[in-house]
Amino acid sequence: MKSAKEKRPAGQKQYYRRKKVCKFCVERIDSINYKDVKLLSQFVPERAKVMPRRISGVCSPHQRLLNDAIKKARNIALLPFTTE
Amino acid sequence: MRNYEIMFIVNPNATEEEIDKINAQLEHIITSGGGTIGKIEKMGKRRLAYEVDKQREGYYVLFTILGNGDIIKECERRLRVMDAVIKYITVRTDEEVRRLEKIRSYRQKRAARRGSGKGAAAGPSAEEAMQ
Repeated sequence: MKSAKEKRPAGQKQYYRRKKVCKFCVERIDSINYKDVKLLSQFVPERAKVMPRRISGVCSPHQRLLNDAIKKARNIALLPFTTE
Repeated sequence: MRNYEIMFIVNPNATEEEIDKINAQLEHIITSGGGTIGKIEKMGKRRLAYEVDKQREGYYVLFTILGNGDIIKECERRLRVMDAVIKYITVRTDEEVRRLEKIRSYRQKRAARRGSGKGAAAGPSAEEAMQ
């Protein structure tokens, strides 16, 4: 991943994008619980949709757990399905 | 036997006694069915994320229990017929607990291996680089 910048052929656009990292991997958050509204709400933007991985940078196993947790939290009215 | 969590929302206009009565009823169902109760947590009044039964607020109660499917079935049936309970959810937690234990033991093993290799000072940054 790091070497991709060097290997890029000449002529291509050279801009640097910060590497996104999975919050759960970095901070060692193992359990993504549906009761933890403070944590989950970081991944639920204003419109109350689940934040896509390409924006949040969460890795796929953690995104799956996060998705399940958000859906459980919605079920018990801890998180909204949509904004009114 | 499996671990479950039952969370339910009681009408915010219900008195403390009514909530205790509901809790006692559930407790009775669980213990008489052969299950055990881990804890009963009254999480208190919270704003609901959306309107439920024309209520904007609700009193959350959480049960952590060890039991089988029949107990859960009976609990859910009872919660459904109670007028004061506006919403409930049951979540099975034993698989999650097992998963967490696995991760924890794996970390410990790793830390021990590294600790014996190059001293006890193995910071989290070193582990990150490995991943």
